[in-house]
Amino acid sequence: MNMSKPGRPAFSQFLFCVAFLSLALSAVASAQSGGELRFCLRSEPKTFDPLLVDDDSSLSIRYLTGGVLVRLNRHTQELEPDLAESWKLSKDGKQITFKLRTGVTFSDGSPFSAEDVAFTMQRLMDPALHSSTGDAFRSSSGAVTTKIIALDQIAITFPAPIAGLDRLFDQVAIMSAHSPKKEAAVLGPFMVAEYKAGSSLLLRRNPSYWKKDSQGRRLPYLDSIRLDIQSNRDVEMLRFKRGELDLINVIDSDYFDRLAASSPGLAHDAGASLDSDFMWFNLVASAPIPDYKRAWFRSTNFRRAISEAINRNDLARIVFNGHAQPAVGPVSPANKFWFDSNLKAETYRPDAALNLLQADGFHLQNGALLDKAGNAVEFSIVTNASSKPRERMAVMVQEDLGKLGIKVNVVTLDFPSLIERISQKFNYEAAMLGFRNVDLDPNGQMNIWLSSAENHAWNPQQKAPETAWEAEMDRLMRAQASAADPKKRKESFDRVQEIVAEQVPFIYLVNQNALSAVSSAVQGADPGILSPQTFWNADRITLNQTKRASR
Amino acid sequence: MLQPLLSAKTQFWKIAKRVTQKLAAIAALVLLGGLLSATLVRMAPGFDADERELDPSLSAESQLALRQSRAGEHDILRFYASYLRGAIHGDLGTSHALGQPVQSLLRERWPVTLRVAGIGLLLAWILASTLAFTACLWRLPAFEIFGTTVSGAFLCIPAAVLALLSVILNAPGYLAIALIVFPKIYRYSRNLFAKAYAMPHITAARARGLSETRILACHVLPIAGPQMIALAGITVSIALGAAIPVEALCGLPGIGQLAWQAALSRDLPLLVNLTVMVTLVTLLANSGADVMVYMLARGES
Repeated sequence: MNMSKPGRPAFSQFLFCVAFLSLALSAVASAQSGGELRFCLRSEPKTFDPLLVDDDSSLSIRYLTGGVLVRLNRHTQELEPDLAESWKLSKDGKQITFKLRTGVTFSDGSPFSAEDVAFTMQRLMDPALHSSTGDAFRSSSGAVTTKIIALDQIAITFPAPIAGLDRLFDQVAIMSAHSPKKEAAVLGPFMVAEYKAGSSLLLRRNPSYWKKDSQGRRLPYLDSIRLDIQSNRDVEMLRFKRGELDLINVIDSDYFDRLAASSPGLAHDAGASLDSDFMWFNLVASAPIPDYKRAWFRSTNFRRAISEAINRNDLARIVFNGHAQPAVGPVSPANKFWFDSNLKAETYRPDAALNLLQADGFHLQNGALLDKAGNAVEFSIVTNASSKPRERMAVMVQEDLGKLGIKVNVVTLDFPSLIERISQKFNYEAAMLGFRNVDLDPNGQMNIWLSSAENHAWNPQQKAPETAWEAEMDRLMRAQASAADPKKRKESFDRVQEIVAEQVPFIYLVNQNALSAVSSAVQGADPGILSPQTFWNADRITLNQTKRASR
Repeated sequence: MLQPLLSAKTQFWKIAKRVTQKLAAIAALVLLGGLLSATLVRMAPGFDADERELDPSLSAESQLALRQSRAGEHDILRFYASYLRGAIHGDLGTSHALGQPVQSLLRERWPVTLRVAGIGLLLAWILASTLAFTACLWRLPAFEIFGTTVSGAFLCIPAAVLALLSVILNAPGYLAIALIVFPKIYRYSRNLFAKAYAMPHITAARARGLSETRILACHVLPIAGPQMIALAGITVSIALGAAIPVEALCGLPGIGQLAWQAALSRDLPLLVNLTVMVTLVTLLANSGADVMVYMLARGES
């Protein structure tokens, strides 16, 4: 008895330690024991060819399966080495030289070398391919040349300087030059294992993926990712709540609030995203609209007045339940480097707006605003019917402008009809849309700001700039595109942002917050503002099977 | 001996002629349906628009190439002629929205719809005819009220709502199709059975003590049968129509979901093929029913 007394605490301590250790080990094991992450794609991927990607679903697959030379860290917004250990830009901004990682193989076992990079770039820059990824590298006509210096070193030369050249490689998934599997041979953490058209996609862990964690363990942790194709957001949320899905990459503010109310830990608001919602007036000379209306829309005072008469705080508060910020301009404050911090969001000043309108000869009569010739100020805003927040914003703009005596008609159209009206027939007065910005660098917006561009929405494809400020914007955009020094580029683009604020060709409304839902079973996810918001670090995400089972 | 042989031969030729006429009519209607569909899509607003036109990363050359890719569809007659030429050689074109050959899309999706709509249709028929038969056989007011209320309720609920309910309740998609088709079958078959059972010779048969099974098999079904067969043909097209909202909302990768996507993106090659396919199935189902009714009528006479 006596002998046993001192032994009991020691034995119980031993038992406790064993239990604790086994618990800890099982917790680690359950967190890092592979498993299958499940979430939804909102549409069928149009292609598995990484160089032809131009839709969200294909982008997600490319991100999860493709290996890139450099990767933009979605958290720090800084470039990090990936398949390239290092890189060097030439002073003239025309050439980039990569030092590649060695000992890396594609998912089918074929070795990765500079030949694959050369093959990828040559295919990407083939003009007949019409790749949007390739078009981003096209600053002027002329061929792109690749020079294989060694199997682990390659120089790529472009005919003209390209601004932010290194960042563009974040979008270029390297393809194998020799593998018979073509795009199925990948360098990313996962590979496509099964595709059921219209239903689901299964990505399995790439056994040849080169990355390891700090303990030397091969990444990714997950065994597989199942992507269900589900366009209905109600169904997606329902399945998430049932525990059938582990995350929702982007959710609307209504769903977010409902989820936050029922399960606060699962709803994530990462703050203002890069995306912006805005409206603009049709300034196209040949547009089928009355001349007097065209004259209003072409007046800077008129556009400024409309901008000042819109209460952006209310839009953010009411339409997005506070999950949006009043927009400042073409660059969201979330874009750490390119945002012009001297600019502020337009404040709601209906009195100042009325003064501006009166300066242009507008006047109030029986509560209605009339122009100099006595025409009642009335116009329609077209927007897409599939976006409830945008419809609600249009209605709120209608109310705000109604206070100035302006009659606004809101017209919702399905997307093809809307595109036809705004980009082919120009049969609209004002339009409201959103810009989904995936590129931090403003060079990706060249086709918006150049007056000759197709996407210069308010007055596209001008043979020569029709206004002095558009000519100035053309000059500044070309200057930032050809300068190698980031500071000089920023100066030029800051001025573009200021011109946009002065001339108001686009009336920026809000920057929506990046909202997502992540199950408690998912560990290591760090939802951010850059796409793909929730799974940008998919190779390091783990699943806690115990928590998943308890959902 | 010669007379019955001649008579059988004549009857065969008469049926063959009727079948040939029907097939010719089907072919003409299918071709016309395809052309009509192509014309309607061509005239729809936003026909020529592509979402990628708003992509600022696309160069002017790529934008131009994008527009030119649909240039062949502007002249609808030329498009249709080229489509028919391709179809004869087994090429049904390529979907704009999904970037895949239409043939492979239809091959992948058709079995899903066949299964969902088929099971839904079968369930609807079992449910509706059982309920209709029971209501007529027992003539209990409770059955009558129950059947009318349930079928009336499902008749009032839009197909999309039933599809959403099936999603919320985690029920299979074919159940939604069954509930969409059920009231149409129930109401019609109930009336048919009621009329048949009200006929004097069935009352006489009952008075003579014939079993209900025999009355049903020998007296009721021969009266109601031909119209039920005709109804079966119609319900095939109802089930196919119901498959569109059900598959789109339940995320079932069938023809209905494909049709929904194609309509939203004005995908001309896909829409024309889907119209041709659905028209063909509907007409074949209806014509099959017609031929069966005709053969039954001939057999009786």
